[in-house]
Amino acid sequence: MSAATLVLDRVDKIYNVGGARPVHAVRAMSLELSPGEIGALLGSSGCGKTSTLRMVAGFEEVTHGSIALAGRPIQAEPPARRNVAMAFEGYSLYPPLTVRDNIAFALKSQRIDAAQVERRVAEVAALLEIEDILGRHPSSLSGGQQQRAGLARALVRDAALHLLDEPMGQLEPRLRAVLRGRLKHYIKERGLTVVLVTHDQTEANALADRIAVMEDGELQQFATPATLRDRPANRFVGAFIGEPPMNLLPAEARAEGQGVVFDLSRDARLSYAPGEVTAPVRDVVLERGRVIIGVRPHAIRLSDAGFSARIVANQWIGDQSHVAASFSGGSVVVVQHERVAARSGERIGLAVEARDLHVFDADSGVAVAHGEAPA
Amino acid sequence: MASIELDRVSKRFRTSVALDEVSLRVASGETVAIIGPSGAGKTVLLRLIAGVEDPSRGSIAIDGADMADVAPERRGIGMAFQNFALFPHMTAFDNIASPLTAREASPDEVRRGVESVAKLLKIERVLDHYPRALSNGQKQRTALARALAASPAILLLDDPLRNVDAKLRFEMRLEFERLLSEQGATTLYVTQDYREAMALGDRIAVMDEGRFIQVGTPETVYFEPASTDVARQFGDPTINLMAAAPDSDASGDFAAIGGVRFGLPSGAVAAAKGRDCLVGMRPEALNFEDDASGAFAVEAVTPLNEKIVTLVAGSDGTELLVSRPSHEAPRRPGEKVSLRIAARDALLFARDDGTRIDVGAARIGS
Amino acid sequence: MQHQSTFERVLRGVLIALVLVFFMFPIVWILLMSFQTNEQILRIPPSLLFEPTLENYRALITGRLETHAGTLDIRFMQNLWNSLILSVFSVALALVLGVPAAYAFARFRFRLGEDIAFTLLSFRFAPPLLVLLPLTLYFQDLGLSDTYVGLVWVYQLICLPLILWIVRGYFEDMSPDIEHAYRTAGHGWLTTFRRISIPLTAPGIAAAGLLAFIFAWNNFIFALVLASADKQPVTVGALAFVTASGIQYGQIAAAIVLSITPTLALALYAQRYLVEGLSLGAVKG
Repeated sequence: MSAATLVLDRVDKIYNVGGARPVHAVRAMSLELSPGEIGALLGSSGCGKTSTLRMVAGFEEVTHGSIALAGRPIQAEPPARRNVAMAFEGYSLYPPLTVRDNIAFALKSQRIDAAQVERRVAEVAALLEIEDILGRHPSSLSGGQQQRAGLARALVRDAALHLLDEPMGQLEPRLRAVLRGRLKHYIKERGLTVVLVTHDQTEANALADRIAVMEDGELQQFATPATLRDRPANRFVGAFIGEPPMNLLPAEARAEGQGVVFDLSRDARLSYAPGEVTAPVRDVVLERGRVIIGVRPHAIRLSDAGFSARIVANQWIGDQSHVAASFSGGSVVVVQHERVAARSGERIGLAVEARDLHVFDADSGVAVAHGEAPA
Repeated sequence: MASIELDRVSKRFRTSVALDEVSLRVASGETVAIIGPSGAGKTVLLRLIAGVEDPSRGSIAIDGADMADVAPERRGIGMAFQNFALFPHMTAFDNIASPLTAREASPDEVRRGVESVAKLLKIERVLDHYPRALSNGQKQRTALARALAASPAILLLDDPLRNVDAKLRFEMRLEFERLLSEQGATTLYVTQDYREAMALGDRIAVMDEGRFIQVGTPETVYFEPASTDVARQFGDPTINLMAAAPDSDASGDFAAIGGVRFGLPSGAVAAAKGRDCLVGMRPEALNFEDDASGAFAVEAVTPLNEKIVTLVAGSDGTELLVSRPSHEAPRRPGEKVSLRIAARDALLFARDDGTRIDVGAARIGS
Repeated sequence: MQHQSTFERVLRGVLIALVLVFFMFPIVWILLMSFQTNEQILRIPPSLLFEPTLENYRALITGRLETHAGTLDIRFMQNLWNSLILSVFSVALALVLGVPAAYAFARFRFRLGEDIAFTLLSFRFAPPLLVLLPLTLYFQDLGLSDTYVGLVWVYQLICLPLILWIVRGYFEDMSPDIEHAYRTAGHGWLTTFRRISIPLTAPGIAAAGLLAFIFAWNNFIFALVLASADKQPVTVGALAFVTASGIQYGQIAAAIVLSITPTLALALYAQRYLVEGLSLGAVKG
């Protein structure tokens, strides 16, 4: 069977329903994944991403709402009838079988002919660099090898949907970087629909077409990596996406002639001449007054035109300098692609261009404007 | 304050050699970052210095005094373990207090000591929690606070940021700089992350298979790596290493890579002595030049945090990674480009054993 | 697991009930028997309705057993007391010897270490009768036969291997880094053992101790051969209920109830230590 559409419609997961302390793990989660699309559920631990995945796989009951695969509601079906393949975060290989038999297990039970099974196992083994361990038993493998074997077992199957739960968490960083590209190529070539659960945004960015950022059981934003980076829906997404994280600075916006000034504290401010901030952005920002400004670390310029801050840490790591600086309104992290010579304790001037500003509502945290356009 | 001297220290286990004649002098107050792949012997080295394991051969001296018969509790060391190793049956307060109670401090001194270090690490609010109620970041800070509590003369930090998420790791790395300088302790900082090593180490000791393969300042290790192994460990994305035979003509020394000439530091051909070579080019040292007739084609463009990583291929299939700041306009896949590198940024390695060939072009300080 | 039809649920309920009846029935029946006279017990067909009597318990506690053939002195309370003394001291000694030994086996590799540990375990393989004859002879020579000390010593064959092997596993599961952390914080090894190693393996030690206690309590053969009437535990003492005039089922039932009470109480008390996973959250994750 070929890849199918996955639709989650207002799905809730409440643990311990009717108990003393019910836990609302997932709230009103709705999203739609097209056939052949790779979607990532991204969030910190406890955000509800794993609960969501387990509901799709059928290991957890759906409290409210519905899950449909290829237009067919599946939330009442047992896992085996959902036509879903899953790679588990932990190791879940069948210990008595060799890696080869583990991978081929589902194919053989579908009565696919031996030659084809052989070919497909070899293909996926080459992809994940596990050809040399196909004859071994799971107990003799390292964590990373077991994880790759588990991933191979899920990928080799024909299923309407493939679920990958932290599929590369155990791998060495170098191997992970290599496999990401290959894995995406393999998935795209076969047109698989994939839900990937991860807490690693580099992985989500590299693999997924769209990323669902979750926090506290709620979907914050479901969008392409570029949209998440350039137009985060709220301050949570803004701060969550990007490493090192976006600087968030409380500010008071006020008009100064036709320009705009953001007061970050009594003596630190970012001022923009008329025209630097576009008219629509100026309007929405001034309407709010109290806002939170988001600036990505690499978007801060060292310039005496801005506000003054004292360097707390200055770390050169070869191709970048990472600088932490504190000022009267808080602290900021700056990334520069040239080596910054100033030492800890010295003062530097910091400025931000208007097109690099993200503005969020101070109370709700919802995005007000990004660069040159209102949100 | 204390200096540490390791003199030909070896540690053998039943079937393996974890450390093979390791020597190192760490000056009082210095921070040395120890980096290397897992299994290189980094953790074993710290354990030997802490005294929880004994060396098979060689000697360890602290401030000139041989430590062979000194029990771990008498070495004046604070150690933070990679897996935190908090005492699960004690509150965070009691965990942090343990080095103070061992020194028979009065309850009042203990309380003041714990509170000041807890404040420094921003965990004042969770002091009455048990470890199982702490987040990973709080556990990490508690373990660190415990190591710092008695202001030890020597701090051994075993990959303290390994088990915290990327965001916290970044924050803590920036914080550590201040923390370590305020403590003033002689510090050995074990890590697998080259960024931490470069940011925090006064010197970096690169370990592999139980030996130091290079010990030097961050600049030395980055710009004059002793071997391809060292070069590969520093930098993200990793350095491009291309097989090439250095050659020269009237315009100077060069190497042909992907059918294109890349200038080498003068003296490269002489230094190579006809050996097979690898030319190392860091991705950020490569620049694009607009050139519709360029010899390289853009294959893939990947935004990676604050930079854009571009994979380009030469006409003969040679692939190179180029890393540029994200504010530069990204290239389009399929586009033809040519590449340029400053001659002094091209490194030369012997192809057989991977050691760097010193061309004599001083990079550091220039 | 969540996807069950009504049929599956009912089937599961029925199966659980069957298992419960199978295992619980003898115990419940003994409890009922202990409140009946021999005549009520032997009545055919047996009945669930009867007038409960405390006669059996009174006979046991006063030590005077009235039968048709006359009055018989039994020393049940003395036996119970003996069981308690033997089990408590055996377990206590086994803990004092076994916990440090288990620690040594878990933490240090020394010559013949594995062989010694296995030899200790192999005590559990040998049929007790095999060692009893020589033991009896030695004990008579040493003047240990029919003493508490001698019995507690022999009981180490039961308790020590259990404690050693169970507690060793717990020590092995505990990260040595936690001890190292306490050492580098400035504490000596003995303090570290007392404040870190012991508290962290407490659930395991409690479990091993409880198991050893049950095994010691239920031991029959050693005490039968090596102890005379005044040192006998209940397991051996129960033989006294098989009298010339018949078997005193009521008293036996009451004796069983009384003799399982201490172990049951201990098990219930120790349960919270057994369940509590103190080690959780000690290291990362």
